[in-house]
Amino acid sequence: MPLIRREINVKNPQGLHARPAALFVQIVSKYDSVVTIQGNGEKVNGKSIMGILTLGAQKGADVVIEVDGEDAQIVADELEALLTDEEK
Amino acid sequence: MKIREFISAKAVSADLKAKDKEGVITELVDLLIDTDAIDRKSKKKVLEVLMAREALGSTAIGQGIAIPHAKHKSTKQLVGCLGVSKEGIDFDSLDGELAHIFFLLMAPIDSAGPHLKALAKISRLLKDKFVRERLKGAKDEEEIKKIIDQEDDRLMSL
Repeated sequence: MPLIRREINVKNPQGLHARPAALFVQIVSKYDSVVTIQGNGEKVNGKSIMGILTLGAQKGADVVIEVDGEDAQIVADELEALLTDEEK
Repeated sequence: MKIREFISAKAVSADLKAKDKEGVITELVDLLIDTDAIDRKSKKKVLEVLMAREALGSTAIGQGIAIPHAKHKSTKQLVGCLGVSKEGIDFDSLDGELAHIFFLLMAPIDSAGPHLKALAKISRLLKDKFVRERLKGAKDEEEIKKIIDQEDDRLMSL
């Protein structure tokens, strides 16, 4: 089982606010992989909007996602695309 | 940042009456107007931007919580209010649960930082199931205010 760990610089103009957090959870929920996201010294479940919001990750902050499962590659790619989307 | 910095003691309701999404957002905006956090003349516009934000995707974040929020020029600083619906309201939450606890936030245009910090703070508060249950069961505004004060102090000391 592949485990993918990726450090991502958040590029969403308003940071990881409610909308990207909801979209993040929607992506994670589509797949089987287990996802966590860390920032600011905290690690939270990738299926919890509330958890993701507690990170308070602003634009320019570094977060780390860990994706564990058979479909980890595609999940990590989709999540990275979301967090680096300058229009979300 | 403390919760009481953006939620004034008066901007609290322990018993929201509305039955649907638009109704509850209107009731919360009225609460902000009654506490002079927002000018009555801006009500229509403020409701418009909040509903437009909901149309992009629900601000219900699961576990019975919704955080309707938007930006508008009628406010110079981050303002908010807190309401509890005993019955719960269908807010199109991803987890399918009815929303009971509502934090409504209005921020000035061009402010990302405080907004994000407030969302983080509220999430940290409500991550605790015990806090959610206490807020839902609060018998009046005074009790809600007490919970927020206690939790503000607890969260600051972490």
